[in-house]
Amino acid sequence: MDRNKICKWLKNPGKMAHKYSFHVVYFCTGCGIIEIPPFITARWDAERFGIIPVATPRQASLFLITGYVSTKTLKAIIRTYEQMPEPKYTVALGSCPINGGMYYDSYNTITSLDKYIPVDGYIAGCMPRPEAIFIGVTHLWKLIDMDKADGYQRYREDYVHYRANQEQLYGKMDWPPLFSEENI
Amino acid sequence: MQISEIILSSLLALIIGIFFLGLARKIMARIHWRYGPPITQPVIDIIRMFSQKGISHGSIFNFGLIFSLTGSFVVILFLPFGKMCPLSSGGLLVILYLMLLAPLGIALSSGEAANPNSSIGVSRKFLLALGYEVPLLLILLAVMTHYHTISLIEIVRIQANTGWSFGSLPLVLSGIAYFLILPAILGIRPFEISGAAQEISSGPKVEFGGKFLAFSTIQHALHEFIGISLFVNLFLGGWDLFGILEPISNTVWGIILGIIIFLIKMVIIFVIEIFINAVFPRFRIEQAMKYLWKWPTLLSFIGLLIVVLFN
Amino acid sequence: MSLEFLLIVAFGGAFLTYFFGKISSKLRDTFAVIISLALVVIISSWYKVYVEKTFYCGFMGFDSVLRLNSFSWFFAIAISSLTALSIIFSLSYMKGRERTDFYYLMMLLINAGMLGIVLAGDLVSFFIFWEIMSWSTFLLISYNRGPSLAAGKKYIIMSLIGSMCMLVGVMSLYAKFDTFNITEISNLVSSTSNGYILFLLIIFSITFGIKNAVMPLHTWLPDTYAESTTSFNCILSGMLTRMGMYGFLLLMYVIVGATRVLNLGECLLKFNYIFAWIGAITIIIPTFIALLQKDAKKLLAWSAIGQGGYMIVGITIGTSLGLAGGIFHTLNHAIYIVLLFMSLGAIQYRTGGERDLNKLGGFIKKMPIVFVGALVGIAGLIGIPLANGFVSKWMIYKTLILEGYPFLAFAALIGTWGCILYSYKFIHHIFLGQLPEKFKNIKKAPFSMALPIIILSLAILVFGILPGIVLKVVNRIGTSFGFESLHVNIWGIASETGTLNTINIFAAILIVGIIIWLIFKAAHKELKVDQYDNYAAGSAIPPNKYNYTVDYYNPFTKMISPYLKDIFEIFYLKIANKVQKLCNSTRKIYTGYVGSYIMYIVLFLAILILVQLKWGVF
Repeated sequence: MDRNKICKWLKNPGKMAHKYSFHVVYFCTGCGIIEIPPFITARWDAERFGIIPVATPRQASLFLITGYVSTKTLKAIIRTYEQMPEPKYTVALGSCPINGGMYYDSYNTITSLDKYIPVDGYIAGCMPRPEAIFIGVTHLWKLIDMDKADGYQRYREDYVHYRANQEQLYGKMDWPPLFSEENI
Repeated sequence: MQISEIILSSLLALIIGIFFLGLARKIMARIHWRYGPPITQPVIDIIRMFSQKGISHGSIFNFGLIFSLTGSFVVILFLPFGKMCPLSSGGLLVILYLMLLAPLGIALSSGEAANPNSSIGVSRKFLLALGYEVPLLLILLAVMTHYHTISLIEIVRIQANTGWSFGSLPLVLSGIAYFLILPAILGIRPFEISGAAQEISSGPKVEFGGKFLAFSTIQHALHEFIGISLFVNLFLGGWDLFGILEPISNTVWGIILGIIIFLIKMVIIFVIEIFINAVFPRFRIEQAMKYLWKWPTLLSFIGLLIVVLFN
Repeated sequence: MSLEFLLIVAFGGAFLTYFFGKISSKLRDTFAVIISLALVVIISSWYKVYVEKTFYCGFMGFDSVLRLNSFSWFFAIAISSLTALSIIFSLSYMKGRERTDFYYLMMLLINAGMLGIVLAGDLVSFFIFWEIMSWSTFLLISYNRGPSLAAGKKYIIMSLIGSMCMLVGVMSLYAKFDTFNITEISNLVSSTSNGYILFLLIIFSITFGIKNAVMPLHTWLPDTYAESTTSFNCILSGMLTRMGMYGFLLLMYVIVGATRVLNLGECLLKFNYIFAWIGAITIIIPTFIALLQKDAKKLLAWSAIGQGGYMIVGITIGTSLGLAGGIFHTLNHAIYIVLLFMSLGAIQYRTGGERDLNKLGGFIKKMPIVFVGALVGIAGLIGIPLANGFVSKWMIYKTLILEGYPFLAFAALIGTWGCILYSYKFIHHIFLGQLPEKFKNIKKAPFSMALPIIILSLAILVFGILPGIVLKVVNRIGTSFGFESLHVNIWGIASETGTLNTINIFAAILIVGIIIWLIFKAAHKELKVDQYDNYAAGSAIPPNKYNYTVDYYNPFTKMISPYLKDIFEIFYLKIANKVQKLCNSTRKIYTGYVGSYIMYIVLFLAILILVQLKWGVF
């Protein structure tokens, strides 16, 4: 953790600030939400890393998807993800977003979250313990250092592809496309 | 000289305000038996917020927030900060009215967000303000009547000569009442009603992102600073410590020591308020108003009566 | 240019407008605007002129006197300019309505009546012009038909009671001093007894209190404001109600004189102290009743009653600062209540008369100029620094605190907080929040509505930053009443107990604002989104429903509404009902049956015979 290295702050303050101040959208979905309160309260204190939950996606920079994603929740997840300000990062907990996990053959969960919104990293487990979530956060820091945590830029560039996947699932969508040809 | 005072007091207020935010989180964490973020965490948060691209719902959305932050900075310029007071005009009444600019700006800005969460937040903010203004006005009127002046600089100067207001006999009840309503003025628990994250999705800040959220955080920091600074100036003697600074009051050393003593008083009061913040849940708005209009109002009313009869 | 020429232009212009309206509506509109602007020009050319002119061939053998001094000039310029702006506003507002000739005739007649009131130098002409104004107001309130007929009836009954009280006062003055001339009376009154002065003050205060809507006598105002046409509301709330203030100032400081008024009574029972407390109650109670209103015009009406209390408190305290504050507040309040009614009128014009606050919302996106007007009006009403309301309120507060009336100061300050609450409610429910679907295609306000709004907003800001422009005139009024002069500069008031320097505040706000705006611009550019891209926890935004307006200040309004019933209205209605029952039962004497009439005659003759037998009177 290089929060104390002043010269790195002076070189690129935006990147360092993004690493050490994750505001998480308090979006409670799936089984993993039971692991989040221990993560942010006194025993496994996430606030010392600068991670606090906020109420609305407009104020957030990290989106934790904490478990399986049903098709109904996916609509809310897409809306919430699109409402977050850029730069934003997505981390998926559990095996369900990776390959469907325990619900791989269910009729109303999706098996691969990356088709619908870009995911920067997965934390495997069913559910991962808070220590695993901390290790995932440190991996996310490394990705941000290497400029590889660019899910939001992928969303912008490949938006046609993502939107096509979303429309394949839902048919006609209730909201207009986020990026049109002019503002990509 | 005046320009340097203006710039110095604005910058110091900003730094101290943000320091208070970080100190609050650290002390809360330690009370919870955990480590907590570093004290510079609000700075990291603000840098991160500035580097994000927020959304805007229209021109008043931008203008309201700029207006509110302007209002807070202008109040700082009119408050005595240690021995400095960069601008002065019209006294305590002008300060009281300039303090209205900030909530009004946030109210306009969040109104255009067209989100009922922000409307509920603003209505509760105004109701809470009405709640604490009733005892606060009685307290301020008691202080102004006791010292026969409406100028805050005069009140601080008289306290340097005759001792703290908190200790002078007619104003004790008013001082106690002010201490009872101070959490409501600062907006900390149990009166953290308008910015409640859980009940109304952070109220007026619900659609603030990016630079808007950074401005809102800075405005919150300045608001805390103003609230505590007003209390210290009115009741705890401002920059002076029982008159020991009187002989060197006009030298550079006097000014610096004055600022340091002022900040020490502010930190002590702020830490006491954080202790209160740590142990209380939030009130509902009607509970808050009923509390504010019961004992603090009674105490400040009796205080005003005592001052009127004393004179 | 003489005073009677002004009145001839005013009255003649009114009737000519009506006749031109029969020829063509465009001619009438232009002529109405020209007449009202001509009056403004004529009056403004009489700045610092003092003239008093007597006409010896007057009404019923009494001399009429017309008089212009700084006091009259101040009110005259306010009346004529606000009328001119209202007429410009009415050009669009009254388009397509019926009987518009009658409307313009009445507006100009009311204008002329008010000018006559402020120019009158003797009590007979004062009374005549007062009656002309009251009757024209009644006719114009009832213009809308429907519920406005009942509102107009209430107004005219109360106004007539007031006028009769004034007539009693005028007659008693004539009986005592044998003259109607105000200057002569003011010289003679100062030598009469305290009891007579108290009688005069009370009897005239009933008249002016009814007109100015002081607390026990205010019940005509909410219904009247709510039911009349919004463009007439501008004149009604701006200057017509404040004719009562003119009357109070005339009564207390011209006729009776400052020394007698301020020394009437002793310690806590002084007349001016009790009257100031009546003013303080007039501030508090209507301000909180305004919070409970769902109708935008009733909200502004209760607000107008509340602000009238500030003026009463200002002028009755008896210091030069308070008097100046009260008079300045009269002008300020006129400007911003006219501005707020014009904004509301623009909204009503485009939405077809909608004034229910719970059905509007989000109009800032469609009518930005009207929003700016309403915002500046709200800023003035609350008394934010930089707006003119702040200066006048500052003066009133300062004099209350330093003269040792902290409880009155508390009442005034709490009134401001009630003001903030209902002003925000007004602007939030109309302009902020979600725009309903049915108003999606509303057009902007027409030019003739936008122009007065912009002019009045500029007036609020200019008078707030450079209050000396008005304060010089107000100071002259104060010195003409015998108070000491204030040290007034272009930017504020200097005195040894606290200087108000508005340029300081303005410069600070401007410079800090520009710096913060530059920082704002330097950060990342924001993304513009519309009202449907909003936080709703991931759900879709329901149109027309994602808005919080009903029961806006809910826990508080539930707490205070049992205490804020308008008990005076209930009381007056009870009296009115009892009088009606009494008259109804008196009517029953006329049974229409000849037999009972013969019985009355026989009974009366029997009583006469009995009296003759017993006492032998005849």
